[in-house]
Amino acid sequence: MQTKETYSYYVETATLQVTDRPRKFLEAFASVLKHGNYGAVLDTYSRVSAKCARCAASCQLYETTQDSRDIPCRRSQLLLRVYQRYFTHAGVAKARLFGGFTLSDEYLDEMAEEYYRCTACRRCKATCPVGIDHGLITHLARWLLAEIKVIPKALVVSVREQLEGVGNTSAIPVPALKDTCEFLEEELQDLYGVDIKYPFDVEGSEYVFFPAVSDFLLEADTLMGNAAVMHVTGGSWTIGTGNYDGINYGLFYSDRMMERIVNNVVAEVRRLKGRKVLVGECGHATRSAWFIPTFAGPDGPEVVNCLEYAYNMLEAGKLPLKDALIEERVTYHDPCNIARTGRITEEPREILKAICKDYMEMTPNRTRNYCCGGGGGTVSIDEIRGFRTGLMGKRKAEQIRATEAQLVVSPCANCKKQLKEVCEDNELNDVEVVGLHDLLLKVIDFGVPEPQAEASEAEHLNEEQSEAGELQSDTVK
Amino acid sequence: MFRAALAFMVLGLIRHAVVTLSEVRKMVGRAGNKNVAYRQAFAATMKWLFPVGQIRQRFFFSITSLLFHVAIIVVPIFLAGHIALWKSGIGLSWPAISNGLADVLTFTAVATAVLLVVQRAVARDSRALSRFNDYALPLLIAVPFVSGFLVMHPTWNPFSHNAALLVHVMSANLLLILIPVTKLSHIVLLPATQLVSELGWHFPPDAGKKVGLDLGKEGQPI
Repeated sequence: MQTKETYSYYVETATLQVTDRPRKFLEAFASVLKHGNYGAVLDTYSRVSAKCARCAASCQLYETTQDSRDIPCRRSQLLLRVYQRYFTHAGVAKARLFGGFTLSDEYLDEMAEEYYRCTACRRCKATCPVGIDHGLITHLARWLLAEIKVIPKALVVSVREQLEGVGNTSAIPVPALKDTCEFLEEELQDLYGVDIKYPFDVEGSEYVFFPAVSDFLLEADTLMGNAAVMHVTGGSWTIGTGNYDGINYGLFYSDRMMERIVNNVVAEVRRLKGRKVLVGECGHATRSAWFIPTFAGPDGPEVVNCLEYAYNMLEAGKLPLKDALIEERVTYHDPCNIARTGRITEEPREILKAICKDYMEMTPNRTRNYCCGGGGGTVSIDEIRGFRTGLMGKRKAEQIRATEAQLVVSPCANCKKQLKEVCEDNELNDVEVVGLHDLLLKVIDFGVPEPQAEASEAEHLNEEQSEAGELQSDTVK
Repeated sequence: MFRAALAFMVLGLIRHAVVTLSEVRKMVGRAGNKNVAYRQAFAATMKWLFPVGQIRQRFFFSITSLLFHVAIIVVPIFLAGHIALWKSGIGLSWPAISNGLADVLTFTAVATAVLLVVQRAVARDSRALSRFNDYALPLLIAVPFVSGFLVMHPTWNPFSHNAALLVHVMSANLLLILIPVTKLSHIVLLPATQLVSELGWHFPPDAGKKVGLDLGKEGQPI
């Protein structure tokens, strides 16, 4: 029992009460191999892995720590070793003849630690000559660990709230959601003199909107930007009161949860007779939504990220912009979940180049970007902030510093929270982290004269709101 | 002996190929999303089969590895002496490289094999990963090249011709046998690995639910 109390993240009391963990872990492993598609992956990986260590040179954590535990290939070997020992004929025979490796509690604890030191950013995938995807191994290992209840408390509590509680990860009830949106509507009226509505439960809308629900607490400007874009482009959209959370922590720790959460998104779109899922500024929510065909088949709703929507509208000339552009130097951080495979990299850049006077790339970028340091759900684990912004975030901080940008744009709720903390903890005091729609909001031409409102008062309100939001999200965790 | 070893290798590799292909088919069949990025997986495979663009990262290691691979693939297949044996054995032949080039490549193979082992031992990250295999295989691969060189150049050979030939043939046989059962199986598995990685993310639609049922967790509180 001693070893189980030493995780660097908080776990629930129930985690510490699980007995007979190696057997339960192997039972879960056997079941996953039987029903899932992981068997061939593990089999191939354990045969071809050449241990060349090229992946080490691409891992931002290993580059900083130089600690062999952080080499992606070594981390993956932890799980491959269990697979080879218990699920291959050769491994079983070898163990019969010579004894050797046995899965122990200590070994499970090592895995519990190591697989949460990886953000599953998958940067190393591109540097593996044989094509091993260490992010996939981290994904699987975390699921197996979750089946013996080793899950960071921050993640499991959020998922419980989403699937069994209020219905979303931030525990925002519908009346509070509506209040927030009314408040945002007033803000838009005060600041821009324009009457923009957040439409609720409009049946037959083209788009059903799924932002990271935490945006309602923390990212007022992003949500106002989203609404503004939909307003000026005449988009048919709605927020469903049955489900308004795009967050899917299942992607980070359990395919079982992921499946349920994706199915809930599809169910809400069908309830509202909508056609498409419009995902807000959130990387992993977008990637999770891209799993809709996996769980709902080819007839599931189409998935559109708000960046793709805004870019298409800009291209079509339906997004009128003011003459006054963003003056500050702006740089762009690619969220791994939408950029790693190259799926969304150019749309945000085209938008930014259209609305900013001084746009500067950070290097490396696009599919080779560094993770913000809080990927794979780790950003929600507040107790490892020092690790996230230090060892994991150092490269990112250096990258941002090198651009000398005043604004870092990242269209991802996870990245934004993490990058704000990276800047705070790495003395990047003059850098502001914002969403892309925050900037869009400032330059959209609504075609009405702007009121001379007191900007300082509006900012004050914003601060108040986000403070309240932080308090609320703390109580959830 | 050679026939047995070669047969073992060929059958072993065919088995890998067949098993992998049937697994790939099964994975696609079970996947909820059948829209697989075949083209990207193929592009990634080609990128690493012809990794000229990839050598900038870890320059010396990459160059060494690349030369090593070229040498050990070309020499055994295109050496005139080997082709003559194939011709007398099964009647097939193909163009050969000159013996001069073969000497250069043989030297390259031996030198790079040793360098690979040295670099593996010197660099902290690869040393941390390495198993006994990883050191032994490059050196074992060098043995038929050294002994083959001695067979081809009797004046350099301090041992008897037959001894060198015996070492050459037996070490090569041993390697053929090891190919399907060690990481050398990447000879046939590498072209499939990128696709397998891609398919790993294509989950069966109800795998989670079935696992939940198996473990008695379906319907239980989270």
